[in-house]
Amino acid sequence: MITIPVPGAGWRMPALRATVNETAKGVRLMWRRRATLVMGAVTQGFMYLMIEFLVGGGHLNHAVLALTLPAFFAFSLASAAALAGSGSIAEEVNGGTLEQSQLSPVRPALLMAGRLAALAAEGLVPAAVVTAAYWAGFGVHYQVRPDVLVPLLLTIADALGYALLMAALTLTVASIGTVVHVFNMAVMFFGGMFVPAAVFPHPVEIFARFIPTTLGVQAINGTLAGLPLPAAWADGTLPLLLAHAAALSAAGWLTYLSTLRRARRGRGLSPR
Amino acid sequence: MSSFLTSLGNETRKGLLFAWSERLQILMELPFFAVFILLAGPLLGAGQQIAAGRLSWSLHSGRTSLLLLAFVPALVFYFQAVKLFWRLLAEIQSGTLEQVYLSPLPSWLVAAAGRVVAALIETIIVVAGIYGIISAFVPLHYAWNVTALLPAAALVVTGTGYSLIIGGMTLVWKRIQMLQEGFLLLVMVFAIAALPVLTVPGWFAGLGRAFPVTSAVASLYGVLIARRPVTALWGTGGLVWLLGTAAAYLAAGILAFHAGERTARARGSLARY
Repeated sequence: MITIPVPGAGWRMPALRATVNETAKGVRLMWRRRATLVMGAVTQGFMYLMIEFLVGGGHLNHAVLALTLPAFFAFSLASAAALAGSGSIAEEVNGGTLEQSQLSPVRPALLMAGRLAALAAEGLVPAAVVTAAYWAGFGVHYQVRPDVLVPLLLTIADALGYALLMAALTLTVASIGTVVHVFNMAVMFFGGMFVPAAVFPHPVEIFARFIPTTLGVQAINGTLAGLPLPAAWADGTLPLLLAHAAALSAAGWLTYLSTLRRARRGRGLSPR
Repeated sequence: MSSFLTSLGNETRKGLLFAWSERLQILMELPFFAVFILLAGPLLGAGQQIAAGRLSWSLHSGRTSLLLLAFVPALVFYFQAVKLFWRLLAEIQSGTLEQVYLSPLPSWLVAAAGRVVAALIETIIVVAGIYGIISAFVPLHYAWNVTALLPAAALVVTGTGYSLIIGGMTLVWKRIQMLQEGFLLLVMVFAIAALPVLTVPGWFAGLGRAFPVTSAVASLYGVLIARRPVTALWGTGGLVWLLGTAAAYLAAGILAFHAGERTARARGSLARY
């Protein structure tokens, strides 16, 4: 009897290894593109400042900056993750490597989880760095308590759910790359980067709360203003955020699995 | 000459076919852009009220007319540059970009020309739709004048040059989505800053003049709102600045595309990803 050694058989859980490999691949690709990542983050940060100038009427209004900086963080994360997610799936479809990944014995959902972790890194690193620089540079005063971690983590989950949904749609909508820019603009505008969503007319505020990251930004703003977390729960923002993040993530997963299944049947895994 | 025209016609037709395949996307964009313009008007320069948590959302005809004027160039850029970027990327990834070099046309012309007509048609449709939606809420006032076609033409030339710069960067760095989106939003911000919507500091206005749409927007404002002749030579919207910006961006675009192409060919990465 001949025994063929399986590469990496030392790993007890091959599924975990494949998932970690996907993350490592994404992080390595991000590092290879670090120059464009830095340029993109700097451009986005500059664009935010210029918007603040327009809103402030030709100068920076520090009170508005404090209210909109969390929205900039959320937008930066969501837009970078959505563009990278959609771009990477399109790249693999066009390059024919998405078909190859289907040969893996590991479930597609796990591979996507690994990919999503890399997208989180690609979105979080520039968003956190630029936000921290503005926070320190402009001396924005926030009341930071451990409470803020709850809405922050839920906002990150919400943004990643949005990115997953955009990546999933790439398999069926040929022009999704250009559409993501429009969705990102919606996240930027209704998410509170120009003006906090609570300032919008009431019907627009209700609509804005359906947009990814808006509820998260509202909850973060409340916590950073010194309101205790139970206040965000009592006014409904936190439960709605929880439901939104869960629904968006579920929609992203289900859409990804269903579009992947359809693409397998209809030869949608290779260039159209 | 005939093969030149055939190639150009084929590229234009391809661009139009792509545009038609994206008609659903245009329908999705329309309401968002209209709502954005309607809501952006009241919040410009309203920092104090926003900080106080109360803002008057009343719509003003004059300001909304100005904002639409600033938004149209951003749409031209969006349809020309963003779509050229994604299609170029798809051609690099699937390996069809190398085929461009079988064409008798210069490669930069093949890359950009197919998009120009499609971008114009898409812009006209979207602007007409946005105009219709916004007019339902607030009257828009423009002094329609055929001379506005001059800044509009300069805008298309500038947009083509800008898209070639993005194209050149795509050939070298491939995934520049984030950078590209940031640039587009900056173009939009500085287009608004070109109009007398609010007072901006001198450095802000000076910086804005280097951005591709600022002079075209200022010229369009002069013709369509301030009822000035388009023939004034000097100033941000003057002919010298307008035509100079268009020529400079087109030349910079062709050079950037060539430089990107040369780098990609030297690396052998026109088709490899």
